[in-house]
Amino acid sequence: MLFFSYFKDLVGREVTVELKNDLAIRGTLHSVDQYLNIKLENTRVVDQDKYPHMLSVRNCFIRGSVVRYVQLPPDGVDIELLHDATRREARGS
Amino acid sequence: MFLLPLSLLKTAQGHPMLVELKNGETYNGHLVNCDTWMNIHLREVICTSKDGDRFWRMPECYIRGNTIKYLRVPDEVIDKVQEEKARSDRKPPGVGRGRGRGREDGAGGRGAKGIGRGFDDGGAKGLVGRGRGGSSGKPGGNRGGGRGRG
Amino acid sequence: MSGPGLESLVDQTISVITNDGRNIVGILKGFDQATNIILDESHERVYSTKEGVQLLVLGLYIIRGDNISIVGELDEELDSHLDLSSLRAHPLKPVIH
Repeated sequence: MLFFSYFKDLVGREVTVELKNDLAIRGTLHSVDQYLNIKLENTRVVDQDKYPHMLSVRNCFIRGSVVRYVQLPPDGVDIELLHDATRREARGS
Repeated sequence: MFLLPLSLLKTAQGHPMLVELKNGETYNGHLVNCDTWMNIHLREVICTSKDGDRFWRMPECYIRGNTIKYLRVPDEVIDKVQEEKARSDRKPPGVGRGRGRGREDGAGGRGAKGIGRGFDDGGAKGLVGRGRGGSSGKPGGNRGGGRGRG
Repeated sequence: MSGPGLESLVDQTISVITNDGRNIVGILKGFDQATNIILDESHERVYSTKEGVQLLVLGLYIIRGDNISIVGELDEELDSHLDLSSLRAHPLKPVIH
């Protein structure tokens, strides 16, 4: 549940989601669920000339299972907080 | 109206359908039964290889749900499921007066069948060459369904 | 749980990218936990570098969730301004897990 909570804190921020088909989509994180499915708003495909397949899509749902990376905003990681949360998760408490 | 994919599939029992598997093979047949894992049982099946160049006919087959990519079902099945749902929403089973189909009283409720949707395809002969009024103007074509047949 | 459900897209036109790289456009009629979806009046948009986008009529489809990459809300306004016949692109790559 750690990453679920983590992503929930990022709602409203700009992220880039890179998929396992090499497509990269940038947009505002709208929501996330326990499968790490992601909803983005105001999306644009990073290389639109190469990938014009989503030109008329502004909001989209990305299935968690096809996400390769999520690029975070530079200040999107509070390392201390994440360390603590990781230890707590490892302890199972 | 909101429908569950597996309810739609259940309603498609007895209807012809096309199933494409993740390995690219397609299976055309009539749905006998299905379960909550999307495992399906087909009758009168024609299997087509990934490239569409080889065919096998078989009296029946079972397909494990998790090997399926998609299912193409006849258009009229969605009308059928919507009717059934409307009926059961109006009258929860076992409540009040007798069960079964009451007479349509005309007021309210949908007409019996096929609002805005043609029944021209009959659905009897597989899924080849279907089309729909609303979709005219778009180039035809029949990916999967029509390959190598006819 | 208030996650990114597809509730808000029901009865709307959506554009689905599947794991095998296809782009299918249709009206979302329903879905479930596993992201299995029902698409009505659907068609496929076939991209190629040799010619414009080809449309294939598909009809009523149930797409299995584990074959779905993206479900996009199709902006009808944007889409109507799109000249598909002049759009050329490689088909999308399949997802490799």
